[in-house]
Amino acid sequence: MPEIEGSPGSSMHGVTGREPVLAFSVASPMVHTDRTAKFDLPVDSEHKATVFKLFSFANPHMRTFHLSWISFFTTFISTFAAAPLVPIIRDNLNLTKSDIGNAGVASVSGSIFSRLVMGAVCDLLGPRYGCAFLIMLSAPTVFCMSFVNDASGYMTVRFMIGFSLATFVSCQYWMSTMFNSKIIGLVNGTAAGWGNMGGGATQLLMPVLFEIIKKAGATPFTAWRIAFFIPGWLNVIMGILVLTLGQDLPDGNLSTLQKKGDVAKDKFGKVLWYAVTNYRTWIFVLLYGYSMGVELTIDNVIAEYFYDRFDLKLHLAGIIAACFGMANLLARPFGGFTSDYMAKRFGMRGRLWNLWLLQTAGGVCCLCLGLVNSLPLAITFMMLFSIGAQAACGATFGIIPFISRRSLGIISGMTGAGGNFGSGLTQLIFFASASFSTAKGLTYMGIMIIGCTLPVTLVHFPQWGSMFLPPSQDIVKGSEEHYYVSEWTDEEKQKGMHQASLKFAENSRSERGGKVASAPTPPENTPNRV
Amino acid sequence: MEVPAGFLVVSLLLSCFATTSYGVYFSSLKETLEVTASPTKGQVLKAGEDKITVTWRFNQTYPAGTDSDYKTVKVKLCYAPLSQKDRSWRKTVDLLKKDKTCPHKIVARPYTASNSSFTWTVERDIPSAIYFVRAFAFNAQEEQVAYGQTTDAHKVNNLFEIQAITGRHMSLDIASICFSAFSIVSLAGFFYMEKRKAKASQEK
Repeated sequence: MPEIEGSPGSSMHGVTGREPVLAFSVASPMVHTDRTAKFDLPVDSEHKATVFKLFSFANPHMRTFHLSWISFFTTFISTFAAAPLVPIIRDNLNLTKSDIGNAGVASVSGSIFSRLVMGAVCDLLGPRYGCAFLIMLSAPTVFCMSFVNDASGYMTVRFMIGFSLATFVSCQYWMSTMFNSKIIGLVNGTAAGWGNMGGGATQLLMPVLFEIIKKAGATPFTAWRIAFFIPGWLNVIMGILVLTLGQDLPDGNLSTLQKKGDVAKDKFGKVLWYAVTNYRTWIFVLLYGYSMGVELTIDNVIAEYFYDRFDLKLHLAGIIAACFGMANLLARPFGGFTSDYMAKRFGMRGRLWNLWLLQTAGGVCCLCLGLVNSLPLAITFMMLFSIGAQAACGATFGIIPFISRRSLGIISGMTGAGGNFGSGLTQLIFFASASFSTAKGLTYMGIMIIGCTLPVTLVHFPQWGSMFLPPSQDIVKGSEEHYYVSEWTDEEKQKGMHQASLKFAENSRSERGGKVASAPTPPENTPNRV
Repeated sequence: MEVPAGFLVVSLLLSCFATTSYGVYFSSLKETLEVTASPTKGQVLKAGEDKITVTWRFNQTYPAGTDSDYKTVKVKLCYAPLSQKDRSWRKTVDLLKKDKTCPHKIVARPYTASNSSFTWTVERDIPSAIYFVRAFAFNAQEEQVAYGQTTDAHKVNNLFEIQAITGRHMSLDIASICFSAFSIVSLAGFFYMEKRKAKASQEK
């Protein structure tokens, strides 16, 4: 059975529909364990790890995991490093509210494009070089902060630094070369969540660095510029570590992959077509803009908000702001967990309800955050908002693998880009104009979150139903096979290109929820190599 | 028992949305101090270099005894309306504890009715903006009781400008260029070396 490897739609290949709860290991006999391979972790026939050992640094699998999520974490630190220092920067550069808001928009806009390009870069150079190139080439942009004189320079530098957020793609791609498809959901979710924590860590790190440098004798307007050297050095150090300690594949580096010449590649145009014409893609692009998007927006505005509204010291505002981003440690995996849990009983309908509930609850708390006048209540609502929004991010990627099998990579990429787009849009509308205060902006953003989460009610799978409608009773149209195989033309089916989708459809029957009679495994079934 | 408990929670929550509004209001203060500052109208001062000399005294046209509770005087550097535009973190609010018009302290002195003056070097963390000088008189409870300022009530006359330091240094710029170059060169170096190693092992 030809495996469609390295094709555009499979940049996120390996993310299966069946993400078992607490999937720390693959116990299924369907995964063929290769016992001849000498690795620290048990591996499958492709030498991808079948077990996820969090606190190990064993080469290559777990080492890759740690290198990958820490690189992503580092780019979050660099991208949002300016946010907690804005009270100082705005005085140094004489910024107006719109300047600050526009720079925030710029910081998340660059990666809309870089994330879309990054998939191709990883296909060409491998994830190791993709990651290293990106973080080492964005290190100079971080160092450029020392040259900035005015609003336009500030915005330009933040825009350039923002490109580095595309390490999300290299991170997820690299995980999928190293970890078996049965645990890839958890691995990718953990890596993404922990990377996102960088947006919180930087709110803590930068004010502390600023205070230390000030104490060492620098004036405030110089101290913040010196503080930016630290994220810059982190970029360089992580780049060097990735290059020296990392490897593209369990067996070595990319040159071996390129030896496999005779692989049937899927056509990019087709994969894009099936992504773009599926209406569910666009609903999730919108939704992710109001879970991940608002998370990025808050990373940019919350420290300044606490500093101004509650008259806190800079490092105290930073500590509170950090709590928002650091909640990702548990909140995002929690969202994935609740999604899997609801799916066990209620199937895909449960996943959709779970997502709607989490994201709407986040929106309500955001609304309240802008209204309260007491500091303890503001912190409480902020934390509840963070859990709601970040869990919604995790829950979103619990559903995305089911939208399409053929175009999974592109849909994931588009959703990720939608997150950044949503962030840019909300910052532009609510936080870049002087017409209303940041507090009002937060309240309006909360209302917009609630509104923009409603379209999830429209997501309907014929085989599983939607939030309010049951699945189709039609025997043909109501089957998983029909949904996933309809992405292939008859010609392609004759060439056998749809086999992986068929297998996926079979595995995805668990999304019916409740007690599902498991389909009998055909005797000639080969090991799961989705 | 559920209804009263719910009601209690809701009313507690709602009460926290309400603003606390006790404190001294600027509109309640009398302008009994006469304050003058050395910068002339429209003069541009450089932060870290130039000096401002502020003098203040009690305005004798007010009845004697008005200043009986004045204990300390705090002189502050304040933003003119032009520099507050589009910058809500410098907003003027009547409730003084929420007011952000005058964040920069020049000096604090015990109150005397006669002429007092102070020469202040503009500090290096003062941002570029248009300013005026205001002095507040405080009573023993640390509350504002009177004020005086160098400009008129509409804050239009007699304003001066301060130009901030850039915060940039040649040494920082050079360090920045060096580290950037290191990053690019080491990346290129690694790439080239690995390509050479791959070629060498292929030729074997």
